[in-house]
Amino acid sequence: MVALVTTPGIVAHGVRRSFGDVHAVRNVTLEAREGAVTGLVGPNGSGKTTLMLMLASLLAPDAGDLRIGGVDPIAEPALARGILGWMPDALGAWPALTARETITVTGELYGMSREQARGRAAQLLAELGLESLADSPARVLSRGQKQKLGLARALVHNPRVLLLDEPASGLDPQARIDLRVLLRRFAAEGRTVLISSHVLSELEEVIDDAVFLVAGETVSSDRVAAAASRVRTWRIRLADRDATAAVLPVARTLGLDAGVLPTDRRDVLVGFASDADAAQALAALIGAGLPVAEFSAATSMLEHTFLDLREGPARGGTA
Amino acid sequence: MNLQRLGTIVRLELLQRVRSVAWYVLLGIFAVLLLGVTALAFTVFAAAQGFGAGVYSTVVFITLLLAVLVSPTFSGNSINGDRDAATLAPVQVTLASTGEILVGKFLAAWATGLAFAVVALPFLAIATLGGGVSPWTVVVSLVVLIVEIGVISAIGVALSGILARPLFSVATTYLVVSALTIGTLIVFLLVGSSIRTEVTSSYRVADYSGDTVVCTDEWETSTREQPRFDTVWWVLASNPFVILADATPTQFGPEGWPVDLFGQIKLGVRSTQIAPAAEEVYDECAPQVPQSQTAEEVVASTTPSWFVGLGVQIALAAGLMWWAYVRTRTPARTLPPGTRIA
Repeated sequence: MVALVTTPGIVAHGVRRSFGDVHAVRNVTLEAREGAVTGLVGPNGSGKTTLMLMLASLLAPDAGDLRIGGVDPIAEPALARGILGWMPDALGAWPALTARETITVTGELYGMSREQARGRAAQLLAELGLESLADSPARVLSRGQKQKLGLARALVHNPRVLLLDEPASGLDPQARIDLRVLLRRFAAEGRTVLISSHVLSELEEVIDDAVFLVAGETVSSDRVAAAASRVRTWRIRLADRDATAAVLPVARTLGLDAGVLPTDRRDVLVGFASDADAAQALAALIGAGLPVAEFSAATSMLEHTFLDLREGPARGGTA
Repeated sequence: MNLQRLGTIVRLELLQRVRSVAWYVLLGIFAVLLLGVTALAFTVFAAAQGFGAGVYSTVVFITLLLAVLVSPTFSGNSINGDRDAATLAPVQVTLASTGEILVGKFLAAWATGLAFAVVALPFLAIATLGGGVSPWTVVVSLVVLIVEIGVISAIGVALSGILARPLFSVATTYLVVSALTIGTLIVFLLVGSSIRTEVTSSYRVADYSGDTVVCTDEWETSTREQPRFDTVWWVLASNPFVILADATPTQFGPEGWPVDLFGQIKLGVRSTQIAPAAEEVYDECAPQVPQSQTAEEVVASTTPSWFVGLGVQIALAAGLMWWAYVRTRTPARTLPPGTRIA
């Protein structure tokens, strides 16, 4: 493996922020690489949005250090704002302005001339598939369209670091695919992308790294590794018979007790401790001549880890 | 303060106002009201010569009144309303600084208030047709009107940055404006009437019963209390209507009275500065022509206060703006209770 020397696009170290008695962010330490999409995963109320606000230079942490592309967003907000693009989870759009005007005005607020901003708006509208709605007022846009407008606003000044708070909520499948392609392109261009979501399946498709946030704290990589290595369920479907008929041959081949293997619709569910164990079992099933039609993890890796972390030993949990 | 970004924020604010129907409805209602007021003022003042001055001053006062009533709704929710609609943070995350956002919103609110003054312009022009309006009166009264609308707009924008709830900040802006307009008047009347001093009046009557008028040396004295408005006249200094009246140069008519409403209010307010005499003497045996100052003498001998009042108002607005700046600054350290950034 070639070790690439990359400067991390986003660094947070020991970041804390509370609002009165509510400790929204307790201890966050994370790094998001340049040229990669990093997912911020956590349940509702785990502090994702608060963390995003601090990274976006809008909220000062009580303690800890932040760097956006090497710039401290608290000490030098103007400098940081020039290189970061932030898409909030709240869909705020000026109701009386059209999509085109919204992007143009935002561009001008980033210091572009009117002409530059207009050109950039036209480009972004085309890129995000908003052209047909470009001249209707924002109040008539659907949730998904507003979401796209929010993304366009975040991209208008061509930022090196992108902070996207729940960007995929409200998007239709085609728009999600477009978003995924867009994010991969940003990463390929060497930008840093931090994206939060609680829809784990869609996150898993696009991210390179994941940061888990539970009750305001980032989960250490050891704990993530431990959670990831815990027994994970796989679905096995045989081509020629239903689940009840499949239980016996599968159990016999794998040397398991047929009585404890659960079934779900057409699948038999089997737990494996690791990918290696699963691969061995698949080889055994095929070796035994069983017509394996489907052999897949029942939960995505991200979901598996996330659920395990949440159900894991509660530490310092709040009521 | 970057002028291009400031201009963008002003344009953004105004674009949204210009596209709302309510705004045109208000301007329309305003025009209808002014039409009525102008027509009535013409009938009221028509008897006098050069009656245009009276009509003109009436229209300016009504414009100020309506601007005072309307401006808080246009400015009192500009920051917290945006925060509620989640449109504030997307501006704060751009290169636009907190100062640019605040000043931009203030200028936009001011311009919105001035639109009402612009609607009043044709009526003011009609009023001058009646004659007797001096150019100085026009210039000074319009400048004061413009500044007053600005002060109220600044107070509204600032309070919307200080208080979290739009409804609450609009109401507070109305309270502050009422304190300046009605509150000062109430304080003036109540405090002035409660501070009373004794006046001693002594009089002597002549005896006309005989052939000659006999003056005895018997003086009768009586005492009574009188209110001392001269101790509290300065309370009225920060009243917008008093500022408008006090600042505008007054012309006096042939009978010695001010020709317009500005001058009459100015005379009324200035007269309260003069302390009443502590002793009154009435002597029938040595009749004196009662000395009374003419209106012009009263105005000339008393202290103008409009610049103090205007200074107080501007200081209040500037102080509130500073407080709003501290509250709205990002990266935010403390947030107003019950608010979110986005």
